[in-house]
Amino acid sequence: MFDLRQTDLTRGEFEELALKHLDPLYSAALRLTKNDRDAEDLVQDTFLRAYRFFEKFERGTNMKAWLFKILTNTFINRYRRSVKERNIVEGSERDAVHERFVSREAAEFAANPEQYFFDRLLSDDVLKAVDSLPIDFRLVVILADLQEFSYKEIAEILDVPVGTVMSRLYRGRRLLQKALASYAVVSGVLQEVGEDGSIDLETYRKRRGKSA
Amino acid sequence: MAIEPTLIAALECSDVERSVDPYLDREFDERERSEMDVHLAACPRCRALVERQARMRAALRAKLREALGEDAPSGRAPPALRTRIEGALARRRKPLWRRALAPIPIATLAACVAGVLLVLWLDPLGHGGSPLLEDAIRKHHRELPLEVTFTDPESGIPGWFAGKLDFNPAPPRFRAAGVQVLGARLSHIGAWPAAYIRYQLPRGQAGLFIVDDPDGRFDASGREVKIGPHKVKIATARGYNVAVWRQDEIVYSLVSDLDEAQLFDLVQTAQADASH
Repeated sequence: MFDLRQTDLTRGEFEELALKHLDPLYSAALRLTKNDRDAEDLVQDTFLRAYRFFEKFERGTNMKAWLFKILTNTFINRYRRSVKERNIVEGSERDAVHERFVSREAAEFAANPEQYFFDRLLSDDVLKAVDSLPIDFRLVVILADLQEFSYKEIAEILDVPVGTVMSRLYRGRRLLQKALASYAVVSGVLQEVGEDGSIDLETYRKRRGKSA
Repeated sequence: MAIEPTLIAALECSDVERSVDPYLDREFDERERSEMDVHLAACPRCRALVERQARMRAALRAKLREALGEDAPSGRAPPALRTRIEGALARRRKPLWRRALAPIPIATLAACVAGVLLVLWLDPLGHGGSPLLEDAIRKHHRELPLEVTFTDPESGIPGWFAGKLDFNPAPPRFRAAGVQVLGARLSHIGAWPAAYIRYQLPRGQAGLFIVDDPDGRFDASGREVKIGPHKVKIATARGYNVAVWRQDEIVYSLVSDLDEAQLFDLVQTAQADASH
């Protein structure tokens, strides 16, 4: 009977420590898998896996970060291909693409004084904007800006260097701002600046000339 | 606090622009922070930049919490998921060496959970459906990626599952021409861990789910067919034909797009092998 109590104790302890993080884990799983059935399966797999390795969990360390690490690994190993994410271009090519993309958008965005548009965005638009981010960026933004993990914790969760976390976070946030801005344009919160959403000096001066 | 003049000189506007994120994310140590503060106090341009970023950050975070946080519908796990996980945890068997130490209690626990879940699962097809059919079809249909492929399936499959499931899935061998193992993954039927093996057939594919069922909780509806000494149930749902059979404590559910006669033949090759 001793073993039964032991098992109950362990399970009781695990449930107490782990299940309180169910909501944030589910929320992240839903943004990763983009559908509730896969999200539920992913979360269940995460808890079962965590329970299996519970003996290896160091009591007193960050249970939430540990669970997110398991969730992320499980997702990458078992679900990622099925979600039909586009392949992330590796290395310098990716950097160059995003650098160009981000700096152009960041400049436009900085030029726009109407930050209050955030307040007028619908939650649905925010979800769509988050979902539109490439998976690596989506993950860091969720971990940093929603779950409020530190860079070091995120680095451990994703098993990448802190520098990588910082660059992904930098790009992820700018991409998200840009995506949100495009929703704001669509729903008329922001005034459209150009047909393709961009404006250059010449166009700007032409417009000013016409309306003057 | 005395700050080294050389340090202040070292921090330029371009440095500030690059380090707004870690500064606002409170990732800077005390010295880095005060360097930044000193620069910001003296540089209105950088101050404006940082303030704008800070407002943006706060707005973004608030918006994310509103859309994805615990008060938002998509930030909360469905109540049924909690129940399902608690059930799965209680059902979860310890590794074999631990089970040997405490065989009865685990079975007792499992029975309690099974009692709760049985209500759902005895529901005939058409209401809740049998998980051996519904869940198996749903999972097979989704074509989740295989976790492993085998060069030699006969030894490879049991070896791969050995460390991952707490029962021996004893995969059957389908001795029909053109049947080939594509690979396997861990899966589950309802809350129960399952082995999943995908086969390439001469036409189409089939997915086999294997679950451990010492307590006889799994029951599939469908037409019962006798193959030798074994009973096999064959059912049709959502365009798939499914064969379910039992071998001692192990239950097999084979999902395929074969027609009934072909499925019957395929299962028969495995049954013949098993009765050897």
